Amino acid sequence: MLNGPVLLVEDDISDFRLIQRAFAKLRPNVPMIRLSHGDEAVAYLAGDAPYENRSLHPFPCVILLDIKLPRRSGFEVLEWIRSQESTLKRVPVIMLTSSNHHVDVNKAYELGVNSYLVKPSNNSELEQLVSTFREYWVELNQGPTV
Amino acid sequence: MAEPVLPTILLVEDTPSDAALIRRGFDKTNVLNPIVWVKNGQEALAYLSGLGQYGDRIRYPLPALILLDLDLPEMTGFELLQWKRTQPYIRRIPVVVLTIDKATSAINAAYDLGANSYLVKPGDPEEIMRIVKSIQEYWLGLNQPPKLVLRATPDAS
Repeated sequence: MLNGPVLLVEDDISDFRLIQRAFAKLRPNVPMIRLSHGDEAVAYLAGDAPYENRSLHPFPCVILLDIKLPRRSGFEVLEWIRSQESTLKRVPVIMLTSSNHHVDVNKAYELGVNSYLVKPSNNSELEQLVSTFREYWVELNQGPTV
Repeated sequence: MAEPVLPTILLVEDTPSDAALIRRGFDKTNVLNPIVWVKNGQEALAYLSGLGQYGDRIRYPLPALILLDLDLPEMTGFELLQWKRTQPYIRRIPVVVLTIDKATSAINAAYDLGANSYLVKPGDPEEIMRIVKSIQEYWLGLNQPPKLVLRATPDAS
């Protein structure tokens, strides 16, 4: 069912390392690509330079998106994705953020997020989250054709 | 006395045996959330809009999750998705499509109309249990649902 890597858009290096470590424990392994800001995410998804080559930079099957990002926020990236004319607008997007503020949660759903996850503060809960995320979105869910 | 506070799940499914299996799955995985079963898209629309008896949001709270079959009489799952995305507040409620239809065109159409996730209903009852367990773990456990006033009549504005 895995149709491309998981794309993680996360600017915080220590959060990224923890998430990466949790992904590395998954068996079978799930390929993950990390980008650190919103403009990079948009360029990657659009296939703009330096990401034109899809065999080197494959389109993701699902996106894990932080909200507070430099340049372009997670909300702006989500809005951009859903406003595209092409089939890329369908790609499943899951917020992964430290905010569980009502305003942020509701805004994400209004903008068409598929799901909203809150980063746990401890490591074993994060590993559990990544494992449950994988079982659901990589193994069980039927993704769209993008 | 206080009402139970667990959020309601709305199951939209026209096949009684499938609905029974899914509900049994939730019982067996100890899901205590109330599950409301409606048999077609029109009834789901009435429930979500609070029409008729469903205006009583104490008895019929807005659901925190919708499980939606696609091939439904009167109003299809696609038509319900199309209607739902135009409704303030209600459009935030996550919809997990649960259907036997594996066609790529159906999957793509459901996402284009705003479905949050798409699961294929297996024929085997044991596999249905596994899917129900995953829905429970993911959507009732891990996912942060939108914040709605589930037990009051939604603002019509």
